[in-house]
Amino acid sequence: MSTAVSHEMPAAPAAGREVVLDASGVIMRFGGLTAVDNVSMKVHDGEIVGLIGPNGAGKTTFFNCLTGMYIPTEGTVRLRGEVLPPKPSKVVKAGMARTFQNIRLFGNMTALENVMVGRYCRTSSMALTSIIRGPKFRREEEATRARAQELLDYVGLGKSAELLARNMPYGDQRRLEIARALATDPQVLLLDEPTAGMNPKETEEAMHLIFKIRDSGLAVIVIEHDMRFIFTLCDRVLCLVRGALLIEGSPQEVQSDPRVIEAYIGGDESQEEGE
Amino acid sequence: MQFLQQLLNGLTIGSLYALIAVGYTVVYGIVQLINFAHGEVFMIGAFGALATWSLLFKGTTAIWVLPIIILGAMLASVSVALLMERIAYRPLRNAPRLAPLITAIGISVILQEGVRLFYPEAKSSLSFPGIDIVTGPPIAIGGLDLRRSTIFIILALIVCAVGLWVFINRTKQGRAMLAVSQDPDTARLMGVNVDRTIAIAFALGALLAAVAGVAQGLHTRTVTFNMGFMAGLKAFTAAVLGGIGNIQGAVAGGLVLGVIEALATQYLGGATWANVWAFVLLIIVLVFWPQGLLGAKVVDRA
Amino acid sequence: MSNDLMTPDLDDTVEPGPSYPQFGTPMVLAGSVLVAASAFLSWSYDREPLGDVSITGNPAPTQYLALIIGVLGIVLFLGRGPLARFFSWFDETAALRGLGFGAVAFALAVILAIFANTSGLINVDPGGWILLVGSIALAFGAEQLPAGRTHADPLRSKTSSWTEILAIIALLTGVLFLAAYALAMEDGYAFLALLAFLGAISATLIRGGFFQWLSIATAKHRQVLMLGAVVVAFLFPFTQDGRDANMTIATQIIVFAITALGLNIVVGLAGLLDLGYIAFLGAGAYVSALLSGSATSHLGFQLPFWLTAIIGACVASTLGLIIGTPTLRVSGDYLAIVTLAFGEIFRITVNNLDGINGPSITNGPNGVSGIPELNLFGFDFGQPHTLGGFTLTRYANYYFLLLLLGAFVILVFTRLNNSRIGRGWVAIREDERAAEAMGVNVFGLKLFAFAGGAFLAGLAGTIKAHQDLAISPDQFVFLESAFLLAAIVLGGMGTVAGALVGATMLKLLPEKLRFLENYRLLMFGILLVLMMRFRPEGLVASKRRQLEFHEDDQELAEAIQVEHLETKEAQA
Repeated sequence: MSTAVSHEMPAAPAAGREVVLDASGVIMRFGGLTAVDNVSMKVHDGEIVGLIGPNGAGKTTFFNCLTGMYIPTEGTVRLRGEVLPPKPSKVVKAGMARTFQNIRLFGNMTALENVMVGRYCRTSSMALTSIIRGPKFRREEEATRARAQELLDYVGLGKSAELLARNMPYGDQRRLEIARALATDPQVLLLDEPTAGMNPKETEEAMHLIFKIRDSGLAVIVIEHDMRFIFTLCDRVLCLVRGALLIEGSPQEVQSDPRVIEAYIGGDESQEEGE
Repeated sequence: MQFLQQLLNGLTIGSLYALIAVGYTVVYGIVQLINFAHGEVFMIGAFGALATWSLLFKGTTAIWVLPIIILGAMLASVSVALLMERIAYRPLRNAPRLAPLITAIGISVILQEGVRLFYPEAKSSLSFPGIDIVTGPPIAIGGLDLRRSTIFIILALIVCAVGLWVFINRTKQGRAMLAVSQDPDTARLMGVNVDRTIAIAFALGALLAAVAGVAQGLHTRTVTFNMGFMAGLKAFTAAVLGGIGNIQGAVAGGLVLGVIEALATQYLGGATWANVWAFVLLIIVLVFWPQGLLGAKVVDRA
Repeated sequence: MSNDLMTPDLDDTVEPGPSYPQFGTPMVLAGSVLVAASAFLSWSYDREPLGDVSITGNPAPTQYLALIIGVLGIVLFLGRGPLARFFSWFDETAALRGLGFGAVAFALAVILAIFANTSGLINVDPGGWILLVGSIALAFGAEQLPAGRTHADPLRSKTSSWTEILAIIALLTGVLFLAAYALAMEDGYAFLALLAFLGAISATLIRGGFFQWLSIATAKHRQVLMLGAVVVAFLFPFTQDGRDANMTIATQIIVFAITALGLNIVVGLAGLLDLGYIAFLGAGAYVSALLSGSATSHLGFQLPFWLTAIIGACVASTLGLIIGTPTLRVSGDYLAIVTLAFGEIFRITVNNLDGINGPSITNGPNGVSGIPELNLFGFDFGQPHTLGGFTLTRYANYYFLLLLLGAFVILVFTRLNNSRIGRGWVAIREDERAAEAMGVNVFGLKLFAFAGGAFLAGLAGTIKAHQDLAISPDQFVFLESAFLLAAIVLGGMGTVAGALVGATMLKLLPEKLRFLENYRLLMFGILLVLMMRFRPEGLVASKRRQLEFHEDDQELAEAIQVEHLETKEAQA
């Protein structure tokens, strides 16, 4: 596994680590359509899990179920043993953050402000404190700003702090989205096609960033279409087809499974981005 | 008997709401715009009819005048509706949704004030001409007082609804409207003239509002420059009640709202509270049942 | 990458040159001289218009405005040559073009005034025509001038702090005198001419880059600006010398502005449309009227003002919570209609609680009258007081109290805007679902916007009731809500200055332009439509709001980016 990226430390075997995210029997139906059909997954600390599947396989829908944007018809999602509340903002507070397939930054805010919004759920100033502006408020503002700048530096956007998000290059926007998600202090980070639309150099950089995040102890779940990327990156891969879990295993196992190849070739020939 | 009488009153007023509500729904179905000034189009219709009558047939109450004043009403309403679509709404088609809404409020004020200032003596309410057959003495059936204008209004609604249905489902232009409401971009690629289709939606709404304006005038025998505000709000309520974007829904919603209002007047605190109940109904529907009675065209713009 | 944005390329934007460059210089000079000279000539045969502009050699106040325009034109022109060193960053050519347009508007206003006040254009004397011809020459000539020298960027100009502070003080003093002068005007047309004059001056300063410079200066010296504004507002009643006419308008403006600021929290900051906002002002007013022992209150209570104020604000706030609850499920246009319906329900209910259609509480359409004057700590607001030889009438008393409340509201507004909550609101406006997915408590923040805005409006209402001595349901109709919204739309969404400017314009213009009284609403409607079409973000918009309304304008985004960076730099 570590052959492709020799300079990265291979992740420790998952067995020795604690389960952080445990989704069991998740089913999502829209009317007669079953978009996610009884999918279960466990994710451990410091692990990168890939989620693949042809277009329309229900990957993003599954993400939405995990993050509380959809309430699953059946099944539960647990984070460190606690069942997640059915509301996105509370899921974030519990420790799960995400990025979006089609970038959803706050375009008219600066990069720094975007990341500061991510700190919202980890700060507590309410109306009165904000109006009175006591030392506690100022300390918190200061800390928020410092942490946001630190995260921008972390993803390599330290110099772009004052740029409006909409004015930033595409690859930077993707990284900014990751910084914003990291600002919520997540234990699990969900990345929805983090390299979509990137050139090879940017993809390479994104991969290093994700390794760096993994090494800091976070669990990362990645949806990707770029197979080379996913097989280099991930410790474990799940393949969804028509909403159902087809196979789960190491990248090698999944890569060589004839059913996976058949699902891609038979179901949808192209591997274009976007569902 | 009291109940039946109120039911009848409710159907009458409900038919008026329905006629106006169709205008909201048709436009919304196509451009997802709440044409807040549509109530004023209805008012303009009433004044258009009054003006036609005053200019051409002053003193005449014969039935043959009726089609002509309806035509006059339609001419006034449709031109105003087309004008505002062209001048005010079209340039804002891609603007944030706040912009068209505020524009609509502006247009609403302009139309009301325009009539109040420039229509002779419109500062107070004006009396609307009578047409013998429509405004003659009520017909008594059992213990019920059936006003002739009621018959006219309900007939007008039926004719308009059927006509609209035929137009939308049986003509090329109608199908183009359906296409645009599904997906304007694809419709454009398929050769549909989107601008014209939207204008036609406005015109259709205005036609029905004009009929409603004449009907209202004949029913109450007065018109005022601000008659459109409340009527517009109620009709919007009706459109939402039926499921906005859904034409059958608008008709059903109008009738239901009219009946509820009439019954509330009878049993829930009298006429002064009727509007409150209508608005309470509006809020309840919007909050808990936004798809309405017959289901709305739901557009997720998030 | 990002550096490209900061150094705009000047080379690739080749503007088409003027068609008649040879006319530029003579026409600007001649035009300026003509405009200035016309001040000493008779403009009108009749003595009636504009406070007698018929005397040659003795300019009336309005004629001095022409003199100022003319002299300004000459000075700006000299700025292109001999005086260039005083204009290091001020683009005098662009400024001249602004001045030219303004001068034409001014001249037209003058001609209109003479036309409307007398029997026709026949009464315009040569002086008036010279003014018009001069201003047209100035405008045309300025357009034909070749572009001036390159200028230092006003944003990067190095001026000393003292210059900047002095400029701010001078500006505020100017505002005070201008307000006193403008308010003292009785003649609507003279007021119109003054407006045109102010428009000309503003156009000159904006085009020349002065406001860009000023915005940095004020950003650097916020305290000076705030303090100065408070002092100016405090001094205003002393310029009125015991007269009530303008103090009435001033108090109305403040009540309106406070309510508009409250609404601006809901609309401008949280991005929620509220069309029934006047109900909150009404709720506060009614609570305070009914609980303070008014002659016509049936409740029979007489609570102290501080208590009614708190109760009033809390009742309004509770209504705000109720009205805000649907935001959980409703947004956009639907929310606007829901709030409109709530507003109408409030009005009709208050109208019906008259003992005939409902319980006897509010006196129905007659409203509550005989509301007692305020009396705080033994200070009777109903009596005139003297302070340092100046007489302060009862309106001035209320003015000071309202000013205090206004300052409080501005404080609340700006501090909320620049905090965690404010960032949450922006995020919601930008992308509600992304905000929710980033841990922002969307519903809670929306509710808070409604409740908080309503609280402030309710508080203003409690004072309004005492100040007006009587209230009735017809003060709280939908049109008033539309006016409030218009104040924000006109002034600028999400800014304090916007709400203040909008409120002032909407309350002051109808008072001063009485000859338009009948057309007031018509103008209002036209204004709304035009603003939405051409400047939907309002006159004094926040940068961010401006971008939101021009989502596809990448150039604007980059220009604002540059300005933002340079402001940051200047502040550091």
